[in-house]
Amino acid sequence: MAKTLLLKTTPNFSQHYLYLRHPSIILYSPPNVKTSCFPQVMAMCSSFYPLLPINFGNKARPIFPFPTKPQSLVRFKAFSSQADTSTTKDDIPARIGFLGLGIMGSPMAQNLLKAGCDVTVWNRTKSKCDPLLSIGAKYKASPEEVAASCDITFAMLADPESAADVACGKHGAARGMGPGKGYVDVSTVDGDTSKLICQHIKATGAQFLEAPVSGSKKPAEDGQLIFLTAGDRSLYEVVGPLLDIMGKSRFYLGDVGNGAAMKLVVNMIMGSMMASFSEGLLLSEKVGLDPSVLVEVISQGAISAPMYSMKGPSMVKSLYPTAFPLKHQQKDLRLALGLAESVSQSTPIAAAANELYKVAKSHGLSDDDFSAVIEALKARIQDKK
Amino acid sequence: MGEEIGFLGLGIMGKAMAVNLLRHGFKLTVWNRTLSKCDELVEHGASVGETPAAVVKKCKYTIGMLSDPAAALSVVFDKDGVLEHICTGKGYIDMSTVDADTSSKISEAITSKGGHFLEAPVSGSKKPAEDGQLVILAAGEKALYEEALPAFNVMGKKSFFLGHVGNGARMKLVVNMIMGSMMNAFSEGLELADRSGLNPQTLLDVLDLAAIANPMFKMKGPTMLQNNYTPAFPLKHQQKDMRLALALGDENAISMPVAAAANEAFKKARNLGLGDLDFSAVHQTVKGGEL
Repeated sequence: MAKTLLLKTTPNFSQHYLYLRHPSIILYSPPNVKTSCFPQVMAMCSSFYPLLPINFGNKARPIFPFPTKPQSLVRFKAFSSQADTSTTKDDIPARIGFLGLGIMGSPMAQNLLKAGCDVTVWNRTKSKCDPLLSIGAKYKASPEEVAASCDITFAMLADPESAADVACGKHGAARGMGPGKGYVDVSTVDGDTSKLICQHIKATGAQFLEAPVSGSKKPAEDGQLIFLTAGDRSLYEVVGPLLDIMGKSRFYLGDVGNGAAMKLVVNMIMGSMMASFSEGLLLSEKVGLDPSVLVEVISQGAISAPMYSMKGPSMVKSLYPTAFPLKHQQKDLRLALGLAESVSQSTPIAAAANELYKVAKSHGLSDDDFSAVIEALKARIQDKK
Repeated sequence: MGEEIGFLGLGIMGKAMAVNLLRHGFKLTVWNRTLSKCDELVEHGASVGETPAAVVKKCKYTIGMLSDPAAALSVVFDKDGVLEHICTGKGYIDMSTVDADTSSKISEAITSKGGHFLEAPVSGSKKPAEDGQLVILAAGEKALYEEALPAFNVMGKKSFFLGHVGNGARMKLVVNMIMGSMMNAFSEGLELADRSGLNPQTLLDVLDLAAIANPMFKMKGPTMLQNNYTPAFPLKHQQKDMRLALALGDENAISMPVAAAANEAFKKARNLGLGDLDFSAVHQTVKGGEL
């Protein structure tokens, strides 16, 4: 089984080294490598993977294509045997799996593909894979098969149930995982679900990283997500460059559960803010003010937030194009309230906000953008669909 | 506005705004209920009026910056108040944050004596006041608004004219209602992060990058984590604003459950004696909120 170790830039290294260990294939050993780097490389490698002997000196032939480097990516160089200089030695050639191609998963996987990564996808509704296949993704018919054929598998599912099912269910990813592989769950779930998935993955010998994101559809498309990771530190280091393709920043927060908790806290604040903003918009309109002017006034002051400037104008027109489905915001609030209860904390504002999202859901607004929560405050709800 | 301007009320906001005007070459006659508070302004070149009436007598335009509806009404209606000398050709600009009824009452009294009235509550607290970065929400007489603009442009970064009297007051209350709810949401989040074993500073770092990043979180987050609640905007005033906003909602039968919950938290904070601290002290209430 091939193992891929990707090393991040550090000041000590003038190059980054990509190497593979495999009994019969590939290790890069350039005669012209800077020998001063070797001890550090070996030291770093042994700290990450203490059980791996590192075989330098084998003649190697590269097995992965080396696509061009995207601008934002940390530079990677690979050793190559003297004879083979046809490949560009710039990118991460690991085999990447991507499970879940919804609002978020699809643009995230697309960004990986556009950066030149080797990506294999799966989605419950197969047709959602087509846009990815048309730009070079491979397809496998189950999470298990994806995981088996990839080194790093990402999962982006809508809720705890789907995340657990994809990882641990029949034909789930865990069945295809094993030593040398990594599973990165970027879904937003509660801590218990994350720990459950972690258990199943690690039982196979693979590594696990929870990595929920802050940011919705547009940041996903623009590669501007914020990753809130926790779990195996070495896997975090390995996938760092992949996260950098999909995002603008990443945090490593320690033990599994911490990433999930951080995401829930952030979205709890966000859900309350959106509900409060909705109250303000509605109140301003009802007392004879122009809600668009309220949006402008807010944008000038201490409570000016990108979310308000982005969503305000469409909310004023009663339009809620879905960037972040309301049902997911309500799910996050529910999970956050659960977290609060588990640590004996009273959260009246979040609880009040949650009620509004529940009302909105009951009026058929689950699949609208979460800004549709304003409808829950109105006297008459126009049912969508 | 080359003439002398009157300035009534030299509290946290009034003092900073008056100093700004003086620094930009405006001539001010000031008054404060506690007269000693005028001393610092005198050092900056202001004159002192013994009463609001004395100030209005001397000045073409007078600005009022009082802490609440009661004080705003008092400087206008009480003996030696603004009404005694307001007349045609003189303008009163009330920059206090009050409810629309109070503002209408003042407006009526001023205009019935021939005077000109503008309500102009501000968005922004101590530092924006010091830096001349307030957002001014004016309504009332348009002509007076135009004449006040040079002063507004010194005190603030942006001014809005919102129509008839009451609109400025209402806009301010709506903004502060959202702000009060946000401060509560933020406090809940900081506390939950802490109790869940996360580093609250890391939460601040994440929030700063997120779609919900805003100057208030950035400014208050660090001081809240240090339990530092030096008042820039006293909690009792924030709770007053929430109360007035809820009353506005009540009058119009508008549902506002989040604001109602936030108001409860501020009331609890006042009950705990935190009223004179910064409104971020509501964080202490959330901290103590055990199930």
